[in-house]
Parts: sequence; C-alpha cells; structure tokens
Amino acid sequence: MESIPLTWEEVARVYGRKIYNFAYRLTGNPADANDLVQEVLLRVRRGLANYQPGSFEGWLWRITRNAFLDDVRKKQRRPTAPLPDEVDRWDLASAEGADIEYARLSLGDDIQKALLELPVDFREAVVLCDVVGLSYEEIAAAVAVPIGTVRSRIHRGRKMLRDLLS
Amino acid sequence: MSHPSELISAYLDGELHGKELATLTKHLSSCGRCAAELEDMQRVRSAVRSLPVLEVPGGLVPEADPVVVPLRQNRGFLVGAAAAIVAVVIAVAAALAPDPGSVSIDELNSRFGARASLDPAFGPAKIVEPAVFGE
Repeated sequence: MESIPLTWEEVARVYGRKIYNFAYRLTGNPADANDLVQEVLLRVRRGLANYQPGSFEGWLWRITRNAFLDDVRKKQRRPTAPLPDEVDRWDLASAEGADIEYARLSLGDDIQKALLELPVDFREAVVLCDVVGLSYEEIAAAVAVPIGTVRSRIHRGRKMLRDLLS
Repeated sequence: MSHPSELISAYLDGELHGKELATLTKHLSSCGRCAAELEDMQRVRSAVRSLPVLEVPGGLVPEADPVVVPLRQNRGFLVGAAAAIVAVVIAVAAALAPDPGSVSIDELNSRFGARASLDPAFGPAKIVEPAVFGE
C-alpha cells in the first residue's frame, strides 16, 4: 500500500482557499492568482509521490512560495503586470454577483495596493502571517530563513505599510 | 535610550517569550514613542487581517468526488449498503495498516478549524470599516 498522505485533490479541497488567498494577495490580480494556484497544485501532484512524512504544511507552503518566487523571477525577465484599473474591471466583469464581489474587493483596495508596493520578501512574510495565518516558525520553515529574519521582515513590512497607508 | 522596535510585531503576534517579552513590556510602559508604534502596528495588522477572504473561482479546485453525488440523490438501499461496505473495508484496512507518518483529512480539518475558531480574523470575511491612518 502506498504511503501518500492525501491525494492532490484532497490537498486542493482542504488548502485551495488558503493557497488562492495567498496567491491573490501576493500577485494582486485573479489571473496571476489562478495561474499560481494551478502551478502549486501541479507541483503538489508531482511531489506527493516522493513526500516524506513530516510537517505537511511546511512542505506545502515551501512548494507554494517557491512557485510564487519562480513566477516573480519569470516576470522580472518579461514584465507584463496589468494596471490596477484593469484588474478591477476584470473582476467586475467575471465575478458572479459582481456588485457584492466588487464591494468586497474595493474594501481592501488600498491595503492590497500597499501590499504590492512592498519588496517581495516583506510582502511574502506579512501575507503568510496575516492572511494565511502561519506562525513565525512555520514561515521560517517555508521560506528557509531563521526566525529572527521572519520577525524582522514582518515588522519592517508592517512599518512600510503604515507609511504607505498614511 | 535604545528602542526594541523590532520586538513590537512579534509581541503583537504572540511570538515573544521570556526575557524579550519582559524587556519589551517594561520598555512600553515608559516609552511613548514605542507605545505609539505598537498602536500603529496593531492598526496595520488588523487592516491586513480584515482583507476579505476570497473564494476560489469555480473549476480551479476539483469538486468533491462525484461518487458521492448519487448517494445524495437517494438511489436506494443498495447504493447505501455498497457505500457502507466500502466504508467498513476502508476502516478495517486503515486499522490493520496504520501509517503513523500520514496526515488524515480530519486532522487537517481540525487544525484548520481550530485556527479559525481561535482567531476571528481567519473566519469568514466580514464587512468592516477600513482603518484610518494618520491624523
């Protein structure tokens, strides 16, 4: 009998919403978030065969942030990020119950825009902490840095957000 | 006077312990600048945590196993009995071949659920007043 802990479909169902929210808050638009979630699930599907019992969430978030970083590196070579206005229209046109969804999204618009202004390392630390809800230890494991670095990135990220939002 | 500013976020996140916690608590009681920064950081933290939780777009994550669907449509006793037999077989197999390293979906759900119930910020999206920054 194989010792695979979960099927990738189960991982998708249990963690899909968290991975999507992580992806959306880091990329700032639904198209990139969708691509990132698909890439993460693909990597999970491939990786589960070789998964060694241990911290499953640590493994999953390591895959997730690595997929995000690979995406950032790819885009740095070929920058095609849409403007924020285009993002809003895309959401409005495609979402079911568009009015409600738009109200929900615009509520956090200024915060989302400020998040996107942060350097990637700080944005990632703040999102893993405040959106995904990981502990500092879990973030350190996912990002492969010491806990002191996580602490510093979160604090500096929040200070930058304060300045951007004031 | 040195300001242990970098400890402030860790303090808010419940990630500060022992000597560092004592140092910061003592410092905050006598330093207006750090007390103000604590308030700022609290506001930023709440603002990010108040971001609406977005639902995953349809089709991105696979739906529940389609085998479950006929049961809901009440196809009769035979389907239920078959499902019960499958469940027993799975339960027996699981009992006979425990895998201490594996993670069950119930365990994950309970961890996930526990976090949501402990921290309202991770519950369903709420409509909240956006935080106002600055004066």
